[in-house]
Amino acid sequence: MSTYGLNKLIRDINRSPAVREEYFKDQVSLLDRYALSVDERQALRSFDIGKLYRMGVHGLILRPFTLLHEVSEPDYLKAIRG
Amino acid sequence: MPIVFACAGSHAPGITAWTEKAPREQVDRFVGGYNIVQRELAASRPDSILLLTSEHWANFFLDHIGAFCIGRGESFEGPIEPWLRVGKAIVPGNPKLAEAILHHCYESGFELSYAEELKLDHGSMVPLKFITPEMTTSVVPLIFNTLATPRPTARRCLALGQVLGLLLERSDERIPVVATGGLSHDPGEINHGFIDREFDAEFLSRLEKGDLDRLSAYSDRELLKAGAGTLELLAWICLAGVMAKHKPRVVVYEAVQLWATGVGIVSYAPVAPRA
Repeated sequence: MSTYGLNKLIRDINRSPAVREEYFKDQVSLLDRYALSVDERQALRSFDIGKLYRMGVHGLILRPFTLLHEVSEPDYLKAIRG
Repeated sequence: MPIVFACAGSHAPGITAWTEKAPREQVDRFVGGYNIVQRELAASRPDSILLLTSEHWANFFLDHIGAFCIGRGESFEGPIEPWLRVGKAIVPGNPKLAEAILHHCYESGFELSYAEELKLDHGSMVPLKFITPEMTTSVVPLIFNTLATPRPTARRCLALGQVLGLLLERSDERIPVVATGGLSHDPGEINHGFIDREFDAEFLSRLEKGDLDRLSAYSDRELLKAGAGTLELLAWICLAGVMAKHKPRVVVYEAVQLWATGVGIVSYAPVAPRA
């Protein structure tokens, strides 16, 4: 889990109703508060599940995050196995 | 007094969040297993439950992480997952019991982390939904780091259980011990959906035989090979340490493909009371 800021942000979205609400309402201002690389920010903005996984987002952070977006299991697995 | 009851059971989120995706017969057998231990637990007239559980980045993160963390709050809220289909609840804690465990463990060579505030996720809330559906029985959660490396060894988890057992055996309170997690699964990872039936069968067999030597010898790599979530069985190994010479019976085991998990329940109650 080398992408510390990215994991931290997604984990906060998963566990905190307030952060979650902000994420779905005003992503830009939320992202600004976390230490993200340009690539990480781009992967999150484009909701690129495969890229996020390969960057090192932990499965138990990424899968709950995609459940918030109602991503089906086959679609999730296809993306991370891409 | 002797420990009034103990059991271990799986907590995969699919059990509640997408129950109906699994074959009806498997759901019935598994939920039937939880119904059995729910009755056994109720019959033990518990004062507070010691819950040996693993969580999923609800409380632990890399800003600060330890091997074991005990919750000594007045209450704990859960679940954190809005999609889990388990109602929000404030589960009462037992700070006095948590404090006693903490001091006993420090005296015995286990410096547990402790927290007044802990969130409960599916790792606690799914089993509690079945065994204490009213969510009114107080709970002391003891969370195991099964996520970030380095993780506690099976040997230390078993030894921690033995230390906990010594305290609980002489407690005036009626304290059942419940472990959650497992069995083999690799949630959210590349091998998501892989269930290692052979591993699960052997693990349950070792547990039933009370083979503490073998249980304490499971390596991180061996558990990880059966899937990252399999590391949650460290809590079951700890429970085997708590129960020392007592041996559990397997109440149910099902390899549920659509929950992507081998799910099981074991109970240390000798005979299930009639419904």
